[in-house]
Amino acid sequence: MSIITRSPFLFRINTGSCNGCDVELATTAMIPRYDVERLGCRYTGSPKHADILLVTGPITARSKPYLLEVLDELPNPFVVVAVGTCPTSCGIFRDSYSIEGPLERYVKVDVNVPGCPPRPQAIIDGVAKALEIWKEKIRNQK
Amino acid sequence: MLSANIIHFLIFPGGLFALCLGVFMLSLERIVVARLQGRVGPPIYQNFIDVIKLFNKEILVPKNAKEAVFIYSPLIGFAGMLAMLYFIPIPGVYEGTNVNSDLIVLIYVMALPAIAHILGGGASSSPYAAIAVNRELKLMLVYEMVFVIISFSVAIYVGGGDAVFSLKKIMEYQQLHGSFLFDWKFWPAVIAFVVFVLATLELPPFQIAHHNDADVMDGFLIEHSSIPLAIYEMTDAMKIILLSIVFQIFFFPIAITDDLIINLIWFILKTVVFVMFFSFLHAILPSFRIDQGFKFLLIVPTALSLITLILVILSVKGLI
Repeated sequence: MSIITRSPFLFRINTGSCNGCDVELATTAMIPRYDVERLGCRYTGSPKHADILLVTGPITARSKPYLLEVLDELPNPFVVVAVGTCPTSCGIFRDSYSIEGPLERYVKVDVNVPGCPPRPQAIIDGVAKALEIWKEKIRNQK
Repeated sequence: MLSANIIHFLIFPGGLFALCLGVFMLSLERIVVARLQGRVGPPIYQNFIDVIKLFNKEILVPKNAKEAVFIYSPLIGFAGMLAMLYFIPIPGVYEGTNVNSDLIVLIYVMALPAIAHILGGGASSSPYAAIAVNRELKLMLVYEMVFVIISFSVAIYVGGGDAVFSLKKIMEYQQLHGSFLFDWKFWPAVIAFVVFVLATLELPPFQIAHHNDADVMDGFLIEHSSIPLAIYEMTDAMKIILLSIVFQIFFFPIAITDDLIINLIWFILKTVVFVMFFSFLHAILPSFRIDQGFKFLLIVPTALSLITLILVILSVKGLI
């Protein structure tokens, strides 16, 4: 059981972020430079393969249905990581007419990685914490 | 007699051995790509854990999918690879089944994983999968043709005019007369075979139908999860081993001694070099668009393999 938790697949969804966190995720923190592949992680193109969901951005009115769809498609058990200030508290977009966040309204957030944008090391730390929570969830499921 | 066949089919050299070796080779590929990009990369057993994990996940079937085709199509490719690894000989290690026309069977079975992808993707009711299936079909039309031309050139050269479709005879011919890798007439075919392997394994620059996150997400596998996805991964693992064996039979079937163990290590070493070469190409090449990929496949490897075919015919006639 502990061996299968060394193979998390990641899925990343942008729910209206300014792209700062996405740049950190896609170009520095995850694969190309700091490399989460050493933790066994792999990016997938489909939420149906994923174990860990990374959310960036305050939930905008346009992106909300897609977020709900992705949450619906994730196979159990999964872990939700909020990357950046926006999904946690909506950041500077708070109280805007088009914001339907924060993320906690729709799903239980397991790990918050604060920062605008967060440092790559902080994101990797968040993923490592998510792995621990995922392990716990698998244990509870059985 | 029967039990020996079952062992050859299920454990060695088909089945379990090829599966484990192939899964480790896929991990090795990821590590080599990571090291070439200046990263650490996953551990060597990573893909093994991935497959075990996928077997423990929940199976999701989309509402509009054709459920039976969607779930059972991965088995077509997997069964094809399993059967083929039993059929074909491994230089110095395994005799094969000594059928006189196994090259024809090989040509047919090589298409099965792609057909499994097409069926599974087509049954999944996802527009991304539909686009990916369309692209895969277009590419398959051409790269299968390249493989057929290469096979026929080798068969005609070995038979001296009459095509010999026995892989064992092709191997024996090269063990007597020197391998085709060092014969200048076959150099265009070797390059065409490299392009064919890149296209059939969907490595860059042919990652158009699958793994191309920028436009088709996960391609035909987008709706698959859990056990079907794990079977697709296992099919890929066995396919990389099969392609390595086919390359060795066609171009470099030299066994060093008569000892089985040393030959097995030599075979694994050659497979590792084969995989590392393709990882190197994976790390340095960018991706094509579908039209560029189709045109490239239609012109370059087809022309190269036809050059070899013409050279082989001329040499058989005694003109060069």
